[in-house]
Amino acid sequence: MHPLLSRPSRLLLYMLLWLGIGVVLAAGLRVFQPREWVDALAFAVPLALFYGFVCLSAWWVCRSQPLVSGRGLRAIAVQLGGASQSAAVWVGAAAPWAAFLSARFDLGLDRAGILRDLVLLFVLGIPPYLVSAIAHYLFLAFEASHAAERRVLEAQVTAREAELRALRAQLNPHFLFNSLNSINSLVGADPEGARRMCEGLGDFLRRTLSLGAREAVTLSEELALVDRYLAIEQVRFGERLQIDRAIDPAAAHCRVPPLLLQPLVENAVKHGVSDLIEGGTIRIEARLEAGRLLIAIENPVDEDGSSRRGEGVGLENVRRRLGVLGGRDAQIEVRRMGNRFRAQLTMSADLAPGHPANPGPAPA
Amino acid sequence: MNLPILRAVLVDDEAPARRLLAEYLAAHADVKVVAECANGFEAVKVIGELGPELVFLDVQMPKLDGFEVLELLDPGPAVVFSTAYDEYALKAFEVHAVDYLLKPYSRDRLGEALDRVRERVRMRAAASPAAPAPPAPVAIPAAASAPSDDEDAIPPPSGTARLAAAARPPGQFVERLLVKDGANVSVIPIDAVDYLEAQDDYVEIHAAGKSWLKTQPLSDLAAGLDPARFVRVHRSFVVQIDRIARLELYAKDSRVAQLRDGREIPVSRSGYSRLKELM
Repeated sequence: MHPLLSRPSRLLLYMLLWLGIGVVLAAGLRVFQPREWVDALAFAVPLALFYGFVCLSAWWVCRSQPLVSGRGLRAIAVQLGGASQSAAVWVGAAAPWAAFLSARFDLGLDRAGILRDLVLLFVLGIPPYLVSAIAHYLFLAFEASHAAERRVLEAQVTAREAELRALRAQLNPHFLFNSLNSINSLVGADPEGARRMCEGLGDFLRRTLSLGAREAVTLSEELALVDRYLAIEQVRFGERLQIDRAIDPAAAHCRVPPLLLQPLVENAVKHGVSDLIEGGTIRIEARLEAGRLLIAIENPVDEDGSSRRGEGVGLENVRRRLGVLGGRDAQIEVRRMGNRFRAQLTMSADLAPGHPANPGPAPA
Repeated sequence: MNLPILRAVLVDDEAPARRLLAEYLAAHADVKVVAECANGFEAVKVIGELGPELVFLDVQMPKLDGFEVLELLDPGPAVVFSTAYDEYALKAFEVHAVDYLLKPYSRDRLGEALDRVRERVRMRAAASPAAPAPPAPVAIPAAASAPSDDEDAIPPPSGTARLAAAARPPGQFVERLLVKDGANVSVIPIDAVDYLEAQDDYVEIHAAGKSWLKTQPLSDLAAGLDPARFVRVHRSFVVQIDRIARLELYAKDSRVAQLRDGREIPVSRSGYSRLKELM
């Protein structure tokens, strides 16, 4: 809908402007072919108000013909066509109006006079439409820059928020509590194991913080974080937690937003393997497919366990981060097939600079 | 002082957690670990067979969580929950847990829990020297339990059921029903339930063409169900609404609901008005 039509106060202002134009037009008509003021006003003012509405149609034309390089000439041609069409519509409305007025009142004009009026109206009708088109283009440009600004701001806010959420989710207190409990149990039976787990936990936390502070990391860095995480969980779950990795070495050099996979893997443990008495295998896949990076996390789920609480939070977090940081065509797709759950990410493959396969300029 | 021996069963799906608990317990001469279970099904079976005085229960476990295990146990053992989640503490005490250990906990904290357990066992022994008594039910207000003339009157849920309902977050209802049959546990998803029928002290659960008997008053069981899906159509019947194919007037003020599978259940006058509100 046209921005003026949805705001009565502005529309009123706009129509007042056209009222003024109508008066000026009446004066012009009097100069062009002498007649009484009342006749000139009765003819011109309603037509001016009508043309005010006609000129608003430039809005839709402007939107369909954006002024972008390469299409500018075409837009100008379309606008000129729109101007003559609008003027024609105007004249088309003016003719019966003039006929109506002259039939009821004496306009002081003969047929030839009316015809001259109409020709004048056609000529006069073109510039206002073009002015309207220019105003609309300006308005659209202003609105676009405003929206772009807002989008940038929004993206920044969302990114910041997502970062905070991710960090908080990373430092999942229950994960920490359970890990500490495992360490506690190892201290008595396997002091060396306890030491290793302390180191592993410290390493995991440090990596989380340092990766989380960056805009992009390589997939192999992200996978290294996931490995630290899984190593800790394997102490808790023992044989129940098995990992199957299928990582294409070429994919491992791609850049990805940080902390995207770890929450998915955590979900796979929390809502998948840990719900199963016998446990199961989490499969992590990454490969390049037609210039796109595909990453998938697959885990078994309990068939009886319906919707277990908390599933959405980690996933929602990943989805938001992917939306902000993953580029335009990044996608996440989650599906449950029988007793398997699969989360699949796809994004355009972005090879890290310095990698031999990177077609971009290599660092000197 | 000569303390009675407490036979303990440890239930936790994580081996390190069981190992830690066993190690801590080794320092207490009066506690003897008789079994370790890695999941809820096993726990229900083993505890039923061994009848221990003490059970350590993890909350989050595969298949059956700690609370579901407790629901399936005969009253008797003192229960101590151990979990990394503090949000279940309130619920734990509502189901008469003796203590609630937050992982990671210390030796001393476990020692305190054991003191409480000993106290509980001693009080029970003093109360009934012959046999350990089940936990005292919470008193039901006299007015609510007063007999009513209306034969259609529905007894209110027991105190425990009301507490359990209060502990449940709003909008969240029981998702499955658990029935213990000897050492076996059946898990019945709530979607599969057609209707519930009161049978003396039992509830007969009709689901997926089969039926199970569960020792629980119908009112207690119904209290945990989503009232938008389950309606008490009769003093002895609760039905899942979408199972009803049609209602037939049987006699004055008495109707019969025919279910999709052809079975019929009676609908009382007040049951009919409850049904009408929802349909």
